[in-house]
Parts: sequence; structure tokens; C-alpha cells
Amino acid sequence: MERKLNAELWDKMHYLFRDFNDRMVHVELHYDFEIDIEALKTVLICFFEKAPVLHSSFKDNHVSPYWIVKPYTIEDVLTVAYPDDLEKAVDDFLTQYIPPDSDLQMKVAVFFKDGTSTLCVVENHMCMDGGDFKYFMKALCENYNAYVEKGISPIELREGTRSYEAVYEDFSKTEQRMARNLYKNVCAKDEHKFPLTPDSIRDRSFIAKRKISAETFDKIRAAGKKHGATVNDMLLTAYFYSLYELAGYDPSDSVTISCAIDLRRHIKDVSDEGLTNHTAFMQCNIPERGRDIFETLQYAVQSSQKFKHDKFMGLYGLPLLKLGYSILPHAASEEIIKIGYSNPLLAMSNIGILESDKLALQGHEPTDGFMTGAVKYKPYALLSVTSLRKELTISMCVRGNDEDRAIVERFFDLMEKSIGLLIGE
Amino acid sequence: MNSYIDYIEDTLQDIRDDGTLYRYKRQVLDQMSERAAEVTHAGLRDEKVLTDLIISEFPNLKDGFEKFCAEDRKEKHKKLVNKVMLFGTPALAILFLVLYLAVSFLTDAWSRTWLIFADGFLCWAVFLLGVGVARVTQMRRIFHPIARVLLALAVMCVDTAIFLIVLMFTGFSQAWVIFPAGVVGILLADAVYAHVTHQKLRIINYLVYIPVAAPMLYVVLGGLRVIPWDPGWIIILLGVAIDVILLIATMVNNSKYKYKPEVEQAWNEN
Repeated sequence: MERKLNAELWDKMHYLFRDFNDRMVHVELHYDFEIDIEALKTVLICFFEKAPVLHSSFKDNHVSPYWIVKPYTIEDVLTVAYPDDLEKAVDDFLTQYIPPDSDLQMKVAVFFKDGTSTLCVVENHMCMDGGDFKYFMKALCENYNAYVEKGISPIELREGTRSYEAVYEDFSKTEQRMARNLYKNVCAKDEHKFPLTPDSIRDRSFIAKRKISAETFDKIRAAGKKHGATVNDMLLTAYFYSLYELAGYDPSDSVTISCAIDLRRHIKDVSDEGLTNHTAFMQCNIPERGRDIFETLQYAVQSSQKFKHDKFMGLYGLPLLKLGYSILPHAASEEIIKIGYSNPLLAMSNIGILESDKLALQGHEPTDGFMTGAVKYKPYALLSVTSLRKELTISMCVRGNDEDRAIVERFFDLMEKSIGLLIGE
Repeated sequence: MNSYIDYIEDTLQDIRDDGTLYRYKRQVLDQMSERAAEVTHAGLRDEKVLTDLIISEFPNLKDGFEKFCAEDRKEKHKKLVNKVMLFGTPALAILFLVLYLAVSFLTDAWSRTWLIFADGFLCWAVFLLGVGVARVTQMRRIFHPIARVLLALAVMCVDTAIFLIVLMFTGFSQAWVIFPAGVVGILLADAVYAHVTHQKLRIINYLVYIPVAAPMLYVVLGGLRVIPWDPGWIIILLGVAIDVILLIATMVNNSKYKYKPEVEQAWNEN
């Protein structure tokens, strides 16, 4: 009999984002040994069975959408190759698009070259966000190690509800009622754009990234501490400051960047939650560029502090979305929500630390790697940040052309320059 | 296969077998075998992992058995109700016919005995509608409006049955008040349904129903001469007043749950 899964609120929302991005989340990890493919296959099958949404097809039913669990073979999921041009193979794999109605929502590849392995994973954001994807990768490595080294069956993956309502469960009754009454339309109203070229049919998805050394990362942390700012605040400031220069905004303009926040902060114990999305955005706004980068930093810190002290951080707007999807059939709800929703033109997602010890396979920690968000369609832009082995990777996924790539590279140059200013270099 | 059987037998060994247990064990084994075939098709070759994976998908067989028993009882009850509905209608028709003819021949009151048919079938309709309400209520909330319509129809049937009895047996000239009273009954039943099933935004129902029910109540009480027409109309104003009080009370209650972030105020002050 056909197995159906409920399409949760965030599944529907990410489906609605199809006009703004390709909804793929990407990870790339390099290892200095050859991964045991048979063991990896076993772990992947177990994980796909534990999280059936990964082998389900999204049905855009006009009344109420849902997932249908589909049969698959591990060969459909895992690609193993020995490419001559590793960079191109990785790039081609990572920039692929998985349609929501396909039978699989995650694809994995292992590329072998000169005794090393590159593990790449692409998944549909409708299934899970960066937070759970990080957990998925750690669990994958942990289970792989336990299976290869001790023969323990790789079945330790969280299972449970995928509902957005989990964020309310640890509140008191009164707090729950308060949170469920936060009918606020949280929208980015800022018109400032990342200065990419106009849309073209020839545009192709690409992932641009830049490494920031461990030494610089340490300096960022130290400088942040001195100014009462987090690493996120420092990077956000560099983002703001670089954008003013790159896009030529008037220094007196107020600019807003939406920063992704993990709503799991409201859940005390996630061990009985399924893989899902729990991400919202906070609008970090600075009233002007400021006389120097330190004034920009001051504005950025003030803006993020405003959210950090809010008990219901990130929960505004959820009841409104729920109401939007409850009162009308899905097709009509989408149209209504589209009227009230405006996707942020500028966004940042600090995915955080990729713990190398937890991503180790058979005792080999990843030598390099990063995780990044969806490929945004112009004029939308998302800066993703991850760190591995104390090295920061800033990345942007864009559907654009060579000129756009050059613009993004120039932006990264400016980011480095701004970071240099912040750390006093 | 044997690993699954051993797992099922070991887990459920201390449960008394009353016939239901075997059916449950068989169902679980079939499901496990089906899942094992699916996972094998996906490409899993390691038998131990396969067994562990499938068993991990059935972690609590005892709870599952309790649910199975509850579901079984529910299914039996449903079948019984279905049988009653299926065979009850013709059986009742025959019963009413026999009753009608018997009573009519015995009493020679042909002008009134047709009520046996009319009220009998109205009561049967109430039963069927009641079953409908109960079953639709168990479905998703999106279907609940159907249950509310069925409930309104049931109240209307009861109302009509009472009206016919009162009219035929008492000749009460104010029997017409039963119809506006029926409207009040429909609104009341719907309000109770909304409350019991925790319908969202049910307060809107109450706020609409009260000013609609008040004039009906005025007509009923006035028609029955329980209250004089004047100043009985005060009931209508009273309805509006109750509505306003309810609205204010709801707003006051809701304001307790309005979140005012202190940081936002601090931010504005800066």
C-alpha cells in the first residue's frame, strides 16, 4: 500500500520558495583515504529507511499536499566515480537540482582520486535545514565508524515528528498561548539588492567560496570579544560594509540583511524529533553605514541583541503562516501567502562549526570541506558560513554567469578587506 | 524470517492469547516481511543489519497490541452499527406498518395514527444523522462543517417530530413557536459542538449566534405568553448586551496572552 507522509508547514513554505532558489543544501567533505563504499551504502540505506521523507515524492495536491514514499535502490542514491578533474566533478554534482516530485530527495557522491575521497551530499531543503543536515552528516559518520569498526548496525538516526509545532512544546501553557498568538508578518521590506547582472536564460548555477584562515578566524573571535560582538556579528558587519562598497549604496541608507536562526533553541531535547526544518530569519538592520566599520559593527550588534533577548525569537509569523495554510486549500493559501510574503533580497546563514572529530571516518578527520545553502535566483543572495578545523568558509550559491561569479569574487575580496579592518590589520 | 518470529514471540510471550493475539502477530510478521523485502530491494545485503533495522521499526509491540485490540473493538462496533443501519430501515418500516395498522384498527383513530410513521421515521433519521455526526467528527477538521450541518438537520428532525405530536394531540394553537425554538436549538447544538470539539475561532460563532437566538427566544416566550410582548423585547437588547460583554471578556482574557517584548521597548528608548 502507498505510504503517505504529511507535508509540514516548512515543507510547504520551502516549496513556495521555488521562485527564489533551487532549495538544495550542499555539503562537501574531503578525506585522505578511500571510503568503504559497501559500508557507506549500508549506512545510507538504513538512514533512508529511518527518514522516509528522503525517498519520497512531493505531491502538490491543490487541497493538501503530501509526500508519497517511493521505492529506490542505493545505486540511485550513491554515485561513485574516479574523475580526472575532481573539481569539475564535485562542482557538477553539487550544483544539480533535485525536483521535489522526484523519487529521491537526497543524492550522495564519493569521488576517488589519488587515494583520497571526496564525499558530496545534496538534499532538498524541504526535507531538512542546515541544522539537521549537520546532524545527519555527523550521525552518518558515527554510524559508519561503528559499523566498520565494531559491526554495530547503523540504525542510530533520530526519528519522530517533523511538525513545526515542536518549537512550542517546552513552553509553559501561558507562554505557548502567547507564542501561538504572534500573528506578525515578518517580512524584509528592504529594496537593496546584491549587484548581480540581470537574469539570463544562459545563467548556470555555481558555488563560489572563499577560505578564511584559522589564524584570521582566531583574530575575528578575539576582536569580537573586545567589541562585545559574536563571530556572527563580525561577519555580518563585514557583509554590510562590503556591500555598501560593492553595490555603491548611499552611506546614509538603511540596509537590512536577514539572518537565519535555528529555532531548535526553543526545544530542550531534540532526540525525539524527526529530520525537518526549524529555521526562521531575523531582520538585522543598520540605520546607516556609519563613519567607519566599527560604527557599522555597533549597529549590527545592537540589531542582533534586540532579537537575542527576545524570549520568542524567530517565532513571530509562524501562527500567521499556519493560519494561511489552514483556512484555505493549498493552492489558494499559496497565492494569499505570496501576497503577504516578501523574500529577503540579502540574507546570511551562519551554519556554524562542522566538527572535524565528529565527521571523522575510520579515524580520518576531513581535511577540508564546507556546507552551503540553496542556489539563489537573481536578485536574491545568500551568504553561507561554515567552519571546519578552525578555518572559515564563506560561500554563495548563485544562478548566474561569469560576470556574476566575478562580482561574487570581488565581494569576497571586500569581505576579506573588511574583516582585516575589523581585526586591525 | 525466523529472527522476526523470535522477536515477536519473545516480546509478546506474557500476553494471554485470546485469538486476537494471533491475528496481531500475523499482521506484524507480514508487515516486517514486507518491509524487509523493500529494504532488500533498495540494496541492503547485510542480513544482521537488515534484521536490526526492521526490528527497530517495531519497537513497542505491546503498545501496538493494545492499539490493535482497541481498533478491533472499534471495527466490530462500526460493523454492528452498519448492520443496524442496513437492516434497521426495512425492519422499522415493517414494524411501523404493523404498529400503524394495529393501532388504527384498534382505536379507529386513522387521522392521528399516521404520526407513528412520521415520528418513527424522524427518530430514525435522528439516529442516522447522529451516527453521521459521530463518524465525521472523527475525521480531519476540514470535514467538521459537514458534521455541523448534519447536527442541524438532526435538531430540525427532532423539532418537527415534537411539532407534529403537539399539534395532533393537543391542538395547541401556539404550536408554531416550536419552529423558532428549533432555530435556537440548532444554534445551541452547534455552539456546544464547537466547544466540545475545540473548534478554532469558535468565539465568532458565539458572537453571531447570541444576537440571532435572542429575537427567536423573544418570539418563543412571547408566543407562549411567558413574557409580555412589551417590554419582552428587552430580551433582544439583552442578547446584544451579552454579546458585548462576551466580546470584552474575550478581549481582556486574550490581552493576558499578548506578548510585549521588553527588549523592543528598550530598543525604542535608545
